Amino acid sequence: MKAEGSGKNEPVPAKHAEAKPAAAAAPAPKPAPPEPVLNRRHGKLLTETRYWPTEIWRNPWSLPRYRAGALWLAGIVLGIAAIGAGVGELAAWGEKLLALLGRSGLPPVAVAWVWVLVKLTCVIGVIVANGLWAVWWERKISAHIQSRMGPMYAGGFHGWAQTIFDTIKLLLKEDVTPAAADQVMHLLAPIVAIAPCVMAFAPVLFGDELAAARIDVGVLYVFAFASISVIGVVMAGWASGNKYSLLGGLRAAAQIVSYELPRGFSVVPVIMFAGSLDLAVIGQAQAGYWLGFFPRWFVFYPVVGQLAFLFFLIASVAETNRTPFDIPEAESELVAGFHTEFSGMKWSLFFLMEYGYVLLASFLLAVFFLGGGAAPLPHPAFIPAWLSIPSWIWMTSKAMLMMFVFLWFRWTFPRLRVDQLMDFNWKFLLPWSFANIGLAGVLIYLHLQGWGLR
Amino acid sequence: MSTDEMIVTGPGLEMDTMFVNLGPQHPSTHGVLRLGLTLAGEVITKAFPDIGYLHRGTEKLMEARSYAQCVVLTDRWDYCSAMTNNLAFCLAAEKLMAVPVPPRAQALRVVMCELNRIASHLIFLGTYGIDIGAFTPFLYAFREREMILDLYEALCGARLTYNYIRLGGVAADVDADWTSKCREFLEFFKPRIDEYDTLLSFNPIFLARTKEVGLVSKEAAVDWGLSGPNLRGSGVSYDVRKSEPYCGYEAYDFNVPVGAHGSCWDRYFCRVQEMRQSVRLVEQALAKLPTGELMAKGVPKIPKPPAGEAYAHVEASRGDLGIYLVSDGGVAPYRLHVRAPCFINLAILQEILVGKKVADVIAVLGSFDIVLGEVDR
Amino acid sequence: MGAAVIGYFKTVFRATWAFVEGLWITLCYLFKPSVTVQYPTEKLVPYDAFRGMLLFDASTCIACSLCAKACPSACIALESQVHPETKKRVPKAEWYTLDLGKCNFCGLCQEACPTKPKSVWHSLDYEYAFSNRDEMVRCWKPGFPLAGRVWDPKGKAFRDLESYIPVREVQGRR
Repeated sequence: MKAEGSGKNEPVPAKHAEAKPAAAAAPAPKPAPPEPVLNRRHGKLLTETRYWPTEIWRNPWSLPRYRAGALWLAGIVLGIAAIGAGVGELAAWGEKLLALLGRSGLPPVAVAWVWVLVKLTCVIGVIVANGLWAVWWERKISAHIQSRMGPMYAGGFHGWAQTIFDTIKLLLKEDVTPAAADQVMHLLAPIVAIAPCVMAFAPVLFGDELAAARIDVGVLYVFAFASISVIGVVMAGWASGNKYSLLGGLRAAAQIVSYELPRGFSVVPVIMFAGSLDLAVIGQAQAGYWLGFFPRWFVFYPVVGQLAFLFFLIASVAETNRTPFDIPEAESELVAGFHTEFSGMKWSLFFLMEYGYVLLASFLLAVFFLGGGAAPLPHPAFIPAWLSIPSWIWMTSKAMLMMFVFLWFRWTFPRLRVDQLMDFNWKFLLPWSFANIGLAGVLIYLHLQGWGLR
Repeated sequence: MSTDEMIVTGPGLEMDTMFVNLGPQHPSTHGVLRLGLTLAGEVITKAFPDIGYLHRGTEKLMEARSYAQCVVLTDRWDYCSAMTNNLAFCLAAEKLMAVPVPPRAQALRVVMCELNRIASHLIFLGTYGIDIGAFTPFLYAFREREMILDLYEALCGARLTYNYIRLGGVAADVDADWTSKCREFLEFFKPRIDEYDTLLSFNPIFLARTKEVGLVSKEAAVDWGLSGPNLRGSGVSYDVRKSEPYCGYEAYDFNVPVGAHGSCWDRYFCRVQEMRQSVRLVEQALAKLPTGELMAKGVPKIPKPPAGEAYAHVEASRGDLGIYLVSDGGVAPYRLHVRAPCFINLAILQEILVGKKVADVIAVLGSFDIVLGEVDR
Repeated sequence: MGAAVIGYFKTVFRATWAFVEGLWITLCYLFKPSVTVQYPTEKLVPYDAFRGMLLFDASTCIACSLCAKACPSACIALESQVHPETKKRVPKAEWYTLDLGKCNFCGLCQEACPTKPKSVWHSLDYEYAFSNRDEMVRCWKPGFPLAGRVWDPKGKAFRDLESYIPVREVQGRR
């Protein structure tokens, strides 16, 4: 099939004079049509390929943009590793900063307060940066899963600034509060939803010793604060002044509260193996290698580790209202979600809360099951010590891998109905997480009897 | 369980019924359809579809247009599969004029209509996936559909409203280039249907959402006049292509998928299997493409069928599309009535939705595959 | 009892396997190149048969009105020239009007036109946009460009189109 009428491939003005075949045979002098104006708006005209998948996928590596993309990805990964190696352990930098503060002549109380503020800024910075990054990454991953490209325009290179512009747009939006709504609640609901998210990040490990606070009962603290956001969700549903938003809010609250149980119970085997609720100790308990090369991560513990990992993952997906458990947010359902009546910055706070909890769940998964800051292979002897990839890079990579799993689930699975969701929790996840605790006990007993690897 | 048992009443306890509008602007109604639902808590007590938002009066417009111009209007009924609309109208007019369509035109008609069936079912698959919550199959379906639309563009110049099947034959010819591209598409498409099966049809969550939902018994389906995959999903094996073949369908070897229980999943899976059968049909038609001319001889530029009436029906993607044509010997039809399958399929919602939960409305509505262009004409 | 237990575990494993298969498909697609054409930096050229923007060439038109009669939306109007001396109708169009707001791009006018090459035809252009409704009605007189001009009621004159930048005008002519 020809793709061009007159057989020209380049609509350049110079060749246009030859492009009038039979019309020139008319006796009357024909006025020349206006010269085609090619300006920046017109872009590259594709005549050779129709972008049929049969053509593109026959040999992806023949496409220049595919090769360029692979090179960019490899470059970015290596660049991050190089930056990490160059910067070293962030915990060491933190120690230096604290020493600097101590020597600066401020009274110790002031130093302690300044240090707390610094840590708080870092945590909030992480959450905000995550909000920007995770949304972009989700759009990119979802796009490539769906054979399309995602944001490409904002900021130039693959639309990296898209979320920044979206945030600016949301800030400039009019703040609409429905007349039937409770005005004070409407203002407080997003704040109550997101504040526990920030607080829950206190004991979360970002590296080997990099945590905002070293809390003995870190696990309990995290789960306790993650539960408080339910109040914000219910407040949002109530404050909407809309019967269906209220129902949606209550439904979301029921879902979140129900899935906290298997979430907590699936972490009990991990606590049993590590012997402590402190996140740093749990991370440390996974250091080292079996047989010299296989990492001692809890996810690799036979049966118990994998089951606990899966249950925690599924329960986290349900907690954060992600597909397949995203009934509260579903657009195509009849019942409106709890955040329907919120616009502008209030809505974006809910959005930030969702991605904040996804990040929290990713970090928790990485700490509990994937070894925290530990590298997957022992450090090879031929690489000098100063070139080693620091623990915070490993930790972040594992957390990002887990976040990728969250995104992957969202774009693959359909949505569960509300009663099926609850069924699944109470009739499957919860009994099996109990059984998992029993299996963990059996495993510890066998280990104490001398079976298994040291 | 009747709805009376579900409503808990008693002294001091009264159930307030709430009236909710689903639509006309709603992501899941597949067009401008308004479903008025009366809810008692979570359960629907009354449902009625309110249509007419897309009514353009084509039946009346056609009374003032010649037959060639009418074909243009037929494209706009079921815009997802416009070829079958053209075909139904042309068959009715050809019946009136007793025009024999040449065999090459008939084979090309079969190819185009079956490709259109695939395209239309791809839209259904994608949008039904989105209704249930799976966002990805939509993009995959549209990527495949893009290739079909490309083929149509190369053939007749338009991607959605083709104006291709004319009175007496077809408008344009295919060349070897086109057939090879079509075969390339078919080879590419066959493993994709298996992928949709893995991703959607046999996904346990999808099965849980659709397997026991929206059950339509055989008797109810026949009583309410359902047709197409909605009827076959309930176990009634009726396909116009088999019972009253047209365009040479009797010469082709294909199966008609029939469901077992009449659930949403059965209707959905009927359509998926129909896509496989359409692929078979297109391959057979392309393999046996006879040579010859495209238009019947002796059909004037402005046809004037003799006075009389004719009814022709075809198996459109959504059901049994029938055209009742009355001519008075003039340039334009005297009266045209369209037996629109979606319009008739929609009526069963009044019975099916009563007693069901709100969360199932979207799944049930989506499984009937409504296109408002055909409902409202 | 034992069969029920085994059946339960079978269901669980089959469901898990179905999920894993679905995840594998999406993961594979993650690494396949996308099929997106990055409009506007990349644009597809339609096929020869494409029914895009309508163009009219007054120099080849014989004013037979077959296109006006064929149009289902009655959007074409034209009048033939009158010879100044014999006062008889000349087979040339004096003016020709096409209302793109009513056009449904069916191609019947193009098929009806008897001249070779056709005097009214669908070009391959699909990137037209109008900034106001007046621009949808295109007028041609002999000597006008192929894309026609728009009658400006305020200035009482024909003006060239503002929002339409002709890229390829002659292509698509059959």
